[in-house]
Amino acid sequence: MKQSVLRVLYRELRRIWLNPRYFIIMTLGIAFTFVFFSTITKEGQPKRLSVAVVDMDGSYLSRRICHEINATPGVKVAAVYNNHTEARKAMQRGDIFAFYEIPKGTYNDLLQFRSPHFVLYVNSAYMLAGTLSYKQLATMGMLATGAVQREVYRKKGYNDEQIMGLIQPIEYDTRNIGNPWINYGNYLMTTLIPAVIAFLVLMHTAYVIARERQEKTVKSWLRRAGNNTLYALIGKMIPYTVWYTLLCLLANLIMFGPMGFPLEGSWMLLVVSSILLIFAAQCAGCFIACAIPDPPLTMGISALYSAMSFSLSGFSFPVESMPRFFYSFSWLYPIRHYFRNFSDIAIYGNGFSICWPRLCALMAFGILLILGAYLLHWQQMREKRLSVQHVKTDVL
Amino acid sequence: MINTLRDIWTVFSIEVRRVFGDRMVLLIFFLAPILYPVIFCYLYHNENVENMAVAVVDESRSADSKRFIHKLDATPELTVAYRCSNLGEAHQLMNDHEVRSIFYFPKDFSSRLAEMRTARVIVFSDMSSFYFYKAALTGGNAVLIDEMHTIELQRYEQAGLTDEEAIIQMQPVVMENTTLFNPTGGYGSFFLPCLMILVLHQTIFLGICILTGDANENRKSLRLIPSHLRRKSIQRVTVGRALCYLLIYVPLCILDLWFIPRWFHLPQLGNLYTILIFCLPFLLAVIFFGMTVGNLVVRQKISPMLCFVFFSLMLFFVSGMVWPQESMPRFWYHFSYLFPSTPGVQGFVKIASMGAPLSEVRNDYMALWLQAAVYFSASTLILSAKLFLRRRKNIIIHNLRQRRQMYLEAQYKR
Repeated sequence: MKQSVLRVLYRELRRIWLNPRYFIIMTLGIAFTFVFFSTITKEGQPKRLSVAVVDMDGSYLSRRICHEINATPGVKVAAVYNNHTEARKAMQRGDIFAFYEIPKGTYNDLLQFRSPHFVLYVNSAYMLAGTLSYKQLATMGMLATGAVQREVYRKKGYNDEQIMGLIQPIEYDTRNIGNPWINYGNYLMTTLIPAVIAFLVLMHTAYVIARERQEKTVKSWLRRAGNNTLYALIGKMIPYTVWYTLLCLLANLIMFGPMGFPLEGSWMLLVVSSILLIFAAQCAGCFIACAIPDPPLTMGISALYSAMSFSLSGFSFPVESMPRFFYSFSWLYPIRHYFRNFSDIAIYGNGFSICWPRLCALMAFGILLILGAYLLHWQQMREKRLSVQHVKTDVL
Repeated sequence: MINTLRDIWTVFSIEVRRVFGDRMVLLIFFLAPILYPVIFCYLYHNENVENMAVAVVDESRSADSKRFIHKLDATPELTVAYRCSNLGEAHQLMNDHEVRSIFYFPKDFSSRLAEMRTARVIVFSDMSSFYFYKAALTGGNAVLIDEMHTIELQRYEQAGLTDEEAIIQMQPVVMENTTLFNPTGGYGSFFLPCLMILVLHQTIFLGICILTGDANENRKSLRLIPSHLRRKSIQRVTVGRALCYLLIYVPLCILDLWFIPRWFHLPQLGNLYTILIFCLPFLLAVIFFGMTVGNLVVRQKISPMLCFVFFSLMLFFVSGMVWPQESMPRFWYHFSYLFPSTPGVQGFVKIASMGAPLSEVRNDYMALWLQAAVYFSASTLILSAKLFLRRRKNIIIHNLRQRRQMYLEAQYKR
């Protein structure tokens, strides 16, 4: 066994050496993805989002509100408009994400003890920008209202603690487990980078097998493994397993090391999950490539299959809230198991006792490898049979 | 003129035969743009997380906390699944993913309320998905505001204010919130319009790359061009091919950008006419972009699939829907305008989700036409440069052969 696997391994290394183009492209692709996400989410959250004020009052108060919005850390006042239509158009152009509308006569109302109405319009077609600007402006609004109330109570002779009790009888103290500063980069990169690597290793494995078929070198490949398809597949997979695992570990090392993303649990478990993720993705790729004899179709099907993996990993929108069928369907994706393990390890610091079912699930993808090997064997046998018949008819 | 049309027709018919003769291209051109939008629409049909399980730890055991918990349970976002006696138990539930959030009422919750001081509720939330956090926050905030009003009103009454005075005291300024264009704040309404454009972009791009790769791999890229077009008028080849893809994709565009969003009740404020007018430069830009990249780099039929993954992901993040364009580092902002998907996504979301007329998306529209023009000239230039090089190579080979022949003949004579 050892001999035949080694022979295939040697052959595969030679093939990579002779045509290293795709190997290099994939590695550069991963590096590019890493740099891309780390630079784009460098700030953690988008800062200084553009908002506007529709100032129909034109008073001392409305100008002060503008200043106060500008002083809020997350947003900046990009423009002040005179009417609603202009602001709406700016929003439709995508220039601003939210605006406050201060109606005419606000200052007078306030002086005469009539509550004026402020309206906050938020564009939530842009998810992140809309939510963040809403949060900032709503907080600002509450603080501004509170400031007016506080002035009144001070004059009535209450002390500061009593005033806080009157203005805000209950408050939330939020503890965000696993990402206390709500860093978007932390949230995105820790799952996306392994997902991209798993995705690429799947496609690459499918590609190298499809390439053998396309170049019609399957026979020489299998001959090296003594016609044992399982050994042939294992020998072929090893270089990619090793290389992509190293890349995955390196990415994790950078993210949880110098970039300072929190890791609650043990390193060892994370390493094991990463290795198993790569292995499972490769098995899936092998199975698809072995099951479908047509090389272009192999690539098409594996792309169709893996294009859903980001959605079904459940890190953007929870899988539990998806239709029942897709919840079960997501079990067919290695990244789903990895992601659940990852949240257990990195966020909760859970140990092996909680993680083992998912590790087993990832290992179960090995069945696909055996199945793929069997299918490949069956195809070869059938081809041989057909070719023999072909010769016979020729003779006849 | 008639010659031009005839040439375009020739190239067009060759290309149509190639598209329909290739199983993989058919899969990408026809199955993917229909299948994916439908699957994803179905996937994100529940726009938000509903009835998320939360645990409650009530150490205060008072009427106030009980009322608060009842209200939490009544929100559409949250369901109080467990009532724990201490925080450790609740954390255990959270570790087991039984609950996604914990509301903890400390012992002094009720007494602080009675003393007219600020009472605290501690909320622990799972950050593995931002949607858990969002659900906890939305549901929790609704209850908080409601409860605050009840308590404040009581206090003002105690302080001897009448109802009307009290309400004015409570809210010197009334804040109203209006969420535009995606009122539920759902993931589907945000993500799907963007996805439609990306699916169209990626399938066209991939299909064209595969066709070019196929031609390059089998060394028939020259044979596919009618011989009289090889020297001049190479632009007719580009136009003819583009026409083929365009005609295939116009119906798909109508289906993906108009009918499917209707069927799944996505926000759809734009009208069909605007969408179609906007689609024309988008499709042209994508087609010529695909042809440029295909002519430039693709050598194999199956290799474009390999790079397709991180490319799609990158296009989505660079399009400015997730991370706002103005907060992007300048480099990535300019980089994003290399791809037709960026103005395509921006423009389509503005038209479809926000109901902008064409005049409001002028910038994106012009960017698409500009891209179409640039990529058209680029693809034509690359094709003619390739033909030129090929021809020169052929001439050199021909000369060498002739020389060898002459040499051999000379040898023979001697």
